[in-house]
Amino acid sequence: MEIGTQAQKLVWEGAIPLQIHLHQSEVTTLPPPPPALVLGPRIGYLPLLVPLIKPHFNSTLPPGTDTIWFEYNGLPLKWNTPTGVLFDLLCAEPERPWNLTVHFRGYPGDILCPCDGEDSVKWNFINSLKEAAYIINGNCKNIMNMSQSDQLELWHCVVKGNMEGYLRISSKCKLGTVGEERTAKSGSGEADISGSSRTGRIPVRLYVRNIGEDVDDLEDVTTIDSWDKVSYINHPVEIHREEGKYFTLRDAVKSLLPDFFMDDEPSIDEQISSIELEGVCRGDEVDPGCAGVENVSSPMTEGIEGSSEKQKPDSHSRKAKIRLIRIQGIEPRWDVPFSWIVNNLMNPEHYLHICIFVEVSTTNQQAEAR
Amino acid sequence: MAAAESPTSVRKVVVHLRATGDAPILKQAKFKIAGTEKFSKVIDFLRRQLHRDTLFVYVNSAFSPNPDELVNDLYNNFGFDGKLVVNYACSMAWG
Repeated sequence: MEIGTQAQKLVWEGAIPLQIHLHQSEVTTLPPPPPALVLGPRIGYLPLLVPLIKPHFNSTLPPGTDTIWFEYNGLPLKWNTPTGVLFDLLCAEPERPWNLTVHFRGYPGDILCPCDGEDSVKWNFINSLKEAAYIINGNCKNIMNMSQSDQLELWHCVVKGNMEGYLRISSKCKLGTVGEERTAKSGSGEADISGSSRTGRIPVRLYVRNIGEDVDDLEDVTTIDSWDKVSYINHPVEIHREEGKYFTLRDAVKSLLPDFFMDDEPSIDEQISSIELEGVCRGDEVDPGCAGVENVSSPMTEGIEGSSEKQKPDSHSRKAKIRLIRIQGIEPRWDVPFSWIVNNLMNPEHYLHICIFVEVSTTNQQAEAR
Repeated sequence: MAAAESPTSVRKVVVHLRATGDAPILKQAKFKIAGTEKFSKVIDFLRRQLHRDTLFVYVNSAFSPNPDELVNDLYNNFGFDGKLVVNYACSMAWG
């Protein structure tokens, strides 16, 4: 029987071409060594590439002990974040090959957690897996009770990118898959819902990056020089099943970042009708949505005469919108069932990593309707 | 508009510190910490209190969260009975 889906396979095989330069302060030879070219698996972690990189630079390093870390445009890279996530988050416009700098000395312990090579990465992976299990099942007994040999084998499968081996062992963890797609399609609901073992709580690591407003071209986005500029949220998504309806990616992100969906709230048909039915006093909020169903951007809202000022008197005077969502290098459509996203695009530690670029202006924006 | 921040941003989380194995027991076991702090703050606090550089810090006797995690997130995901249980040990307790 075939194991794993086509999409899962693509995720596991996904890799970022890296061009790794040795930091000039550590170059002791002339001419300096050429950069190392390696493929960094998306689901992998940067320290795992060290055995490939070290021989390349070994002969030029200054004396001392190795404390290896990576940097992109001056930003020390978190080794505990999967390589694919770093790339999706830090390269607004994907750069191939991705030019990174490696340091063998001078570890920035104030910014990065200590790393003792592969052991630290494995430790981090297993702990994340336990966290995910806790979120899914309310405990992590299945992971804690895993035999040491299974745990090690699972880790080796991740390191080697062996998806089939990984799926075979991880199936013992009973973390299951989310079975919503079938229920929604079949329409005959209930049996299938009870059939799926999942609680519907999905472990999510969300990275939100503000690229400022009115950026036409993603190439013009300024680079991140500090991790403080990325909002990191570790918050599960609760899948709400409604009869005959998918719980979509939009629903999921909305539950995580409700502020960014205020403008577009009425654009969902059901909501419009329900608001109309109730005939509530939020009438003027309905207008923008009717004018631009599916349109998320706030310029649409501005276009509505005189509505802007009244519309959100107390919520926020800032404009905020989601410019881009990226999961495993893909920009999925907002109406994709979230269960599909989870089952196919999650990382092997059972976390779904979502990168979101937002445009937020903190200055008071008056509607320039005329 | 900054004032419009939700009250959760200033919420304090009760952290219950529990010694595991041969780790010394703290006189005061419960502390309040702002939810917006990172977990590393809890780890640093324990290191200072116990005068130890090597310390293994867990949540719910199960896993070691990344020091970058926000206390709020950990409380929401793993807290119960109004507190976040943090275990500390001088040697590795749960692998």
